[in-house]
Amino acid sequence: MDAEKEGKRRSFECSSCQFSSPYDYFGKRPGFLKSIVLLEEAYVMKDPFTPENRHLTLGGHCSECNKPVCVGKDCSIFYTRRFCIDCVMENLEEFPKEVQQELNKKDKG
Amino acid sequence: MPRDRSDEDRYRRSSDHSRRHHERRDERKSHHESHRERSSYSERSQREDYERHDSSSRRRDSNHRHRYDESSSRYDDTKHEYRKEREDGTRNKIKSSSRSSPERHRERRPSRFSDLHVRKPSWNFYGYTSDDIKDAEKLQKERDTSTSNSGGTVISTGLRASSAFTGSSSNQNLEHQDRTQEEMKRTDKQRSEEQGKPETETSSVAWSFDWDRHRYELDKLFFDDDGVLKRGSSDYGDFWSFFERYQSFQSKKQARLGSHKAKKTEEDKHAKTGKLKLPRTFDKRHSINLEMTVPSKHTLKSYSHVTASGEEKDELTSERVLEFKKVLLLYLGFNQKQQFNKVVKLRKDQCNLPIAKYRETIVEAVRKNSVVIVAGDTGCGKSTQVPQYLMSAGFDSVAVTQPRRIACISLAKRVGYETLHEYGSQVGYQIRFETTKTQATKLLFLTEGLLLRQLQLDPVLSQYSVLILDEVHERHLHGDFLLGVLRCMMEQRDDLKLVLMSATININLFSNYFKDAPVIQVPGRLYPIQVEYVPIKESEQGSKSERLDARPYLRIMQRIDHKYPDSERGDLLVFLSGVSEISSVVEAAKMYASQTNRWIVLPLHSSLSVAEQDKAFDISPEGVRKCIVSTNIAETSVTIDGVRFIVDSGKVKEMNYNSQAKMQQLQEFWISRASSEQRKGRAGRTGPGVCFRLYGEDDYDAFQAYSTPEIQRVPLDSLLLQMVALGLKRPREFPFIEAPPANSIENSITFLKEQGALSEKEKLTPVGRMLSQLPVDVVIGKMLIMGTIFKMIDPVLSIAAALSVQSPFTSRAHRDHDAMSARKSLESDHGDPFTLLNAYDEWIQMKASGGSSSRKWCKRRGLEEQRFYEMSKLKKQFKELLDTNNLLGMKDARREYSSLERQSRNRERKRLRELKRKTQNSSKKRKLLKLENEDFDDSDEDEESDDDASKLQDIQFKLSHDVTEMEAKSNMNRSLLNREINLLKVILCSGLYPQLAIADDCNSYRKESDQVFHTKAKPFVVLHPTGIFATNPDVLEPPDGDTLPEETTGKRGALSAKHQLLSYVSLLETNKPYLMNTMRVPALQTMLLYARSLDTNQQCTRLIVDEWLEFCFADSEAAEDILPVVLHLRATWIKVLEMRLKESQRSLNFGAADLRVVHLERLLARKLAEYLSSHVEYTMRKLGATDLQHLYIGSSGGLLKSSDDEFFSTFSKDSEPHPTKGGWKVTDFMTYGW
Repeated sequence: MDAEKEGKRRSFECSSCQFSSPYDYFGKRPGFLKSIVLLEEAYVMKDPFTPENRHLTLGGHCSECNKPVCVGKDCSIFYTRRFCIDCVMENLEEFPKEVQQELNKKDKG
Repeated sequence: MPRDRSDEDRYRRSSDHSRRHHERRDERKSHHESHRERSSYSERSQREDYERHDSSSRRRDSNHRHRYDESSSRYDDTKHEYRKEREDGTRNKIKSSSRSSPERHRERRPSRFSDLHVRKPSWNFYGYTSDDIKDAEKLQKERDTSTSNSGGTVISTGLRASSAFTGSSSNQNLEHQDRTQEEMKRTDKQRSEEQGKPETETSSVAWSFDWDRHRYELDKLFFDDDGVLKRGSSDYGDFWSFFERYQSFQSKKQARLGSHKAKKTEEDKHAKTGKLKLPRTFDKRHSINLEMTVPSKHTLKSYSHVTASGEEKDELTSERVLEFKKVLLLYLGFNQKQQFNKVVKLRKDQCNLPIAKYRETIVEAVRKNSVVIVAGDTGCGKSTQVPQYLMSAGFDSVAVTQPRRIACISLAKRVGYETLHEYGSQVGYQIRFETTKTQATKLLFLTEGLLLRQLQLDPVLSQYSVLILDEVHERHLHGDFLLGVLRCMMEQRDDLKLVLMSATININLFSNYFKDAPVIQVPGRLYPIQVEYVPIKESEQGSKSERLDARPYLRIMQRIDHKYPDSERGDLLVFLSGVSEISSVVEAAKMYASQTNRWIVLPLHSSLSVAEQDKAFDISPEGVRKCIVSTNIAETSVTIDGVRFIVDSGKVKEMNYNSQAKMQQLQEFWISRASSEQRKGRAGRTGPGVCFRLYGEDDYDAFQAYSTPEIQRVPLDSLLLQMVALGLKRPREFPFIEAPPANSIENSITFLKEQGALSEKEKLTPVGRMLSQLPVDVVIGKMLIMGTIFKMIDPVLSIAAALSVQSPFTSRAHRDHDAMSARKSLESDHGDPFTLLNAYDEWIQMKASGGSSSRKWCKRRGLEEQRFYEMSKLKKQFKELLDTNNLLGMKDARREYSSLERQSRNRERKRLRELKRKTQNSSKKRKLLKLENEDFDDSDEDEESDDDASKLQDIQFKLSHDVTEMEAKSNMNRSLLNREINLLKVILCSGLYPQLAIADDCNSYRKESDQVFHTKAKPFVVLHPTGIFATNPDVLEPPDGDTLPEETTGKRGALSAKHQLLSYVSLLETNKPYLMNTMRVPALQTMLLYARSLDTNQQCTRLIVDEWLEFCFADSEAAEDILPVVLHLRATWIKVLEMRLKESQRSLNFGAADLRVVHLERLLARKLAEYLSSHVEYTMRKLGATDLQHLYIGSSGGLLKSSDDEFFSTFSKDSEPHPTKGGWKVTDFMTYGW
């Protein structure tokens, strides 16, 4: 938390879309959340849009290639684990068709 | 896998559906040929709209917002991506339910949950698209009607939902119920086979289960204090509506699938195949990266026994808990997506601002130069972005000044939001009574005036390293002065960075002022605006005295009606010069509106109540335009979105100051070209617009280029005092960016000397130092200081505060007869300051007794409660300031709160926090306006909807003030004795003097006619109609009495002890010169106490005061009684004041000196009271011009000092002949025996 003391939070940057944002915590169990754990090691910030203690997942690392990616639908998906979109496309047939369809829809849109 | 197939089906159907949707939209688009215009218009309005409300408030306000969507949906035909995603469903919903019955929206529903029904469905989740919602809507609608009577729990129960879904026929219902029950049994059976295998598809749990019955339990499991969502939060409400929809979707799906549903084999489900080892079967659960730690396994177990008992149908089983948990997880996953999209959107919007391209340029320029000018027009984003750029470039302790308080708050909020609170509490604001500044604050928004105050304590502003002055082109008094001070300061502080931000108006002026500082010009984001010159016909121009002819304005409304279809939204903003012009046009426009039903006409000016002003921001129903008729308040201070048409009268009423007569003059002028352009620009904020100018193009060319800066047209008293207090040696040579008129400076310096704030050598006196610290006019400040000497500080504080804020009387207050009669008891025939005191004290009584009813109380009397809150804050600030300067003498022992009081205060504090949270992001609710907009019919609605805000204020007020104590003091004020009232008047006059007026001899003292008065500098002024004496002139009637024999005075006049003068707070000329805030005072006593010159004849029977008024006594005895007392009093008063102020310099030292002051003060108060009640008969008249010529014998005809004037010689043993008047100077103000 040294960085926080210095007044500037650490910054997360998506390797796929250049999205960047400061984050409060990296890992699975953000200290400020009492009853939620994450199923991946993720970059998390306190939800800036609500006064309550809520979190907002910004991104994580792709479970295959370990690239940092944001949770935006064009950059990664979560299906039991985080996959960057490249790794998903490479192994598309391994995903259930619901997921494939969802991705196809995105492509069209 | 039939189940999967049907899901697939669903996906396809939904995408088909949305394609159809697109097509339909395209079709419609081609119907309207003006679509290009419209689309950009709507895009912009959406963006604005999005900016204004962050989505959390959006959801919270969904009731209102929803109405907005309804009304705008036609105009917003061409949707944009983000909106489409969220609202495809909504629009269907609106069409099916609300549009058909708009009244429904206005109904206030009794239950909180029922509000959820009109909430915007904030979801579009995994293929549950508009299709489903549409059905769900239908279902909801039916449920709405079926449960509207019961009004209680409306959150659907599964059984009812599914029955409602199949149709209205009861037969069908029964059939369906049977089927679902059968199904339930079957699925339960299945489930029991699956026992002990968590991660399975559990969505087959009967959806007809009555979840609502178990709400309490579920709340405890999931939404406790440590829970996932806080009960009562907006997300909590959101979740339940999500859950409800999910349920109805599931039950629908179940119905559709019916018995076809087949169970998959276990292996199939959990098979993990391939390189990635992913489960082959899709489960939405797998897409969520969250898990919940509640409820614990242990808790869960306690539910598992229920399953076995066979009564599971209605009970909460562990499966059902898990099912619930799953939906909750789905919701959280969905919510995460939404929130993330919000972040992305925010970033995108920032990048799209015109100023974003200049980011590097600006940062570089600031690094390299000490002064940089950023010039950009409306909408370029400079106010929000430049501070952020500098912050992230590593500059800290940045201060941004704003001319308006409200902008400080909203900008700090906005920047905090845009940076996602990246800097946490580092972004704050500071205004007169409020601050969010902390140790950590690195970016501070503050008002220009406040920064000037900080200069007094910290002459080089060492706490800041970057100063950004925003809106410098507006050229406010403080802004101009700041520019000058900072230019001087830059020489002392080479590390300080100064950024001036301005509209693209007169940039060279600023650049040259700062030695050719670099200018970065940023284009604004305005849509094209078509200008049309429509000069008013000669016959319609009318003369000055007539009411404004509204016909040209109506014609433009007609033209708009003819030319633009009502399906195209866009409101009209009319700029007029003043309130009376506004009322003529509003009246006529309302007539027109009632014929066409296409307009809602709203006035907008600063003397309207806050609630009335806020209406301008509300939204008109579909097919109806707002017509806002405004003063130039809408030019810069107030920004209204959605304006497409402008009518510009080209006129403005500007306050000018006549420093000779000390009179403010509100005069009508042509506007400047700059302000004409600014008015025009108001039409192009959200789309292309049209501006109708009611003057010719040649008129426009003849306008002056820029408006006259404030410094050239306001009194400079306070400014000069501040300059001297800042140690600026030669105020006359101060390098203003544009210098004020020299005589304006001279008059102010003279005035300050007269008030004792400056010495003859123009140095700050102790009184001056004190005055410079008070954030009010010199006149008011003086009252406060004098008030501390006599033990009457509370009413003086109240009156000083009341005179320093905008009048609490709304414009309605003087028209509405009910309000006037309700107010009757507050009126004091002593004068307006006393009426204000009564009103404030009465309000305090209301606060102390009940609280929330005070708002109604105000409304009924035509008072604006906001002003009373401001007065309370100001009063508190005055008190603290006087206290820190040791001017309050013995402090009131701080009252200890009783334990009961403490308890209730703690409760209030908690409520305050809750309310704050609730109202945090929804400060401005936009409501849907009604077409028949009458003043009376929406009063109740206002009260209800603004409830939270007013409650919040109420609690804040009670926490920051000790109401019990205030009540006690107000009680005291109400029972003031006559003697005390006289004392109070004298105290007030210490500041107000020489603002006194004498009545004309020919006044009728009847209500029907104007009563004429004369001040020394300005003869023939009248009472303002809003003042108390305008309606009760009889109390001013001069007393009857014997007249003195002609030979003593040579003039007529009644001999009486009851002559009166009128003191006034300001002189304002509009169509006539008016006395404002008048108070009647005893003439002789007041004049003798304050007169700058008192000249008597040798017999002391004739007194000339200030070379203006003449008092005559019947014999010299009367004069000999009173004159020595006056001299004594004045001398003692000065002494006490000096001692007091000396005391105030010393730090908390309550020694012997203090006691001496206290003693003297008591003596003074007693003597003063005696003096004021002394009964001396005299005549009074105003000297004419001819009298003044022969007034003095002159120095040549000098008299020898006679021996029988002992009482004067005690004061001044070395009195000397007066150089011009003749006679002897007794004191510096008194001359004897001319």
